[in-house]
Amino acid sequence: MNVAEYIASGTLEAYILGAASDQERREVECLSSIYPEIKQELDQLALALEGYAMSVSVEPPAALRDRIMSQLSFGVAEITPVDGQAKPEAKVLPMPDTRPIYNITWIAAASVGLVLLAFSFFLITRLRDNQQALASLRSTNSSLQQDINALKSQRSGTDQVMALLRQPGTRIIQLKGNDKAPDGNLAVYWNQQTGQLALDITSLPALPSSQQYQLWTLKGGKPFDAGVFDPVTGIHSLHAIDKGSVDAFAITIEQRGGSPTPHLEALIAMTPIKAS
Amino acid sequence: MKRIQPFVSESVLIEKLNRRDQQAFQWLYDQYSAALYGVLLKIVQEEEQAEDLLQEAFIKIWNNLDAYDAGKGRLFTWLLNITRNTAIDSIRASKAAHRPNPTKAIRTDEENVYIVDGQHNTPPVNPDHIGVQDVVDQLRPERKELIDLVYFKGYTHEEAAETLNLPLGTVKTRIRAALQELKQLFHS
Repeated sequence: MNVAEYIASGTLEAYILGAASDQERREVECLSSIYPEIKQELDQLALALEGYAMSVSVEPPAALRDRIMSQLSFGVAEITPVDGQAKPEAKVLPMPDTRPIYNITWIAAASVGLVLLAFSFFLITRLRDNQQALASLRSTNSSLQQDINALKSQRSGTDQVMALLRQPGTRIIQLKGNDKAPDGNLAVYWNQQTGQLALDITSLPALPSSQQYQLWTLKGGKPFDAGVFDPVTGIHSLHAIDKGSVDAFAITIEQRGGSPTPHLEALIAMTPIKAS
Repeated sequence: MKRIQPFVSESVLIEKLNRRDQQAFQWLYDQYSAALYGVLLKIVQEEEQAEDLLQEAFIKIWNNLDAYDAGKGRLFTWLLNITRNTAIDSIRASKAAHRPNPTKAIRTDEENVYIVDGQHNTPPVNPDHIGVQDVVDQLRPERKELIDLVYFKGYTHEEAAETLNLPLGTVKTRIRAALQELKQLFHS
């Protein structure tokens, strides 16, 4: 393109005066970055307009400066007074050295803090110990209570058995385990007149939890249930059976809760009773 | 020609302005407020309004300092264009109701405030220098009238031609001649 012709076209003047169209403006900005002559012409036109603007200068009212400045926010780092005059009373004094005071205050505060912290820690530890001791005592107490209850219940059983034994006519029948329970050894306390019954287990083989021992009485060739029991050594009271004579006592291993009729293949002990 | 001493250098000034340095603003204000106020008076011809517009313009300048790119144009030209656009916007807004054919909205986008210029460190012409006004007065009245109409009133060339009842070609020629004349006057 002919640069001189473009410069002479008046488009640059329109641009510099802000009177160019958008298309012209883009055109000028593009061409000025390509052609140094166009850029130089624009520079000179800008400078000329700046000069023209300077030539119409009118000093604005002095109050306007402060009014405008009050509308602006300035950087916080600036400490220059707004009116631009140094204030004579704003003398800079050296900061007094307050470090020792600070140190003592700081140490005192820190010491109090540390003491409080240590005391709190001590209290918390004490509290935790006490809580642990209390829990342990509670547990011991509860276990003692259980023991007492167990002893009471045992005692009550023993009392019943003792009462049974004191009764006239109570017999002691020994039952020995057969070859299925060679260690089995227990006694049946039985009073024929009252039908009262108790067991004194010396030893019996342990059973799976699904099974229990069952005591039977045999009378006239028929078995009668006399109660179930677990193989726990000691004295157990059982429910009373019918009064009257019994031909034999027998023990079988049955399902927990007992069976209506004994499984004879599970018989572990049997003792016949001689008529008294 | 006597020149005003720049603020150490324009780049230092701009860096300080970007940090919202109060001293830098004071320098900027003292340096350019008279020229900007003069331009505003030319545009609105009413002192109170010119004062309000100068305040508005400086607030815009202050808030848009980040947008100023020294690589794209001279600082004073940037300030002039923001101020001039602020005033012309205001006039257009108030005249909008009375103007039957506002053929063209004035551009206010920030891009338009740049004038490409490689001589960024050239200080502006000293307004205090005796002779500038005399020099401007040497402009032919018909040329000065056109410059004032386009630059201060924001007229397009077409609007100026219509207002002065001149052919568009004549308007363009006269404007170019006027600016060439100004260029010669202020060319260093």
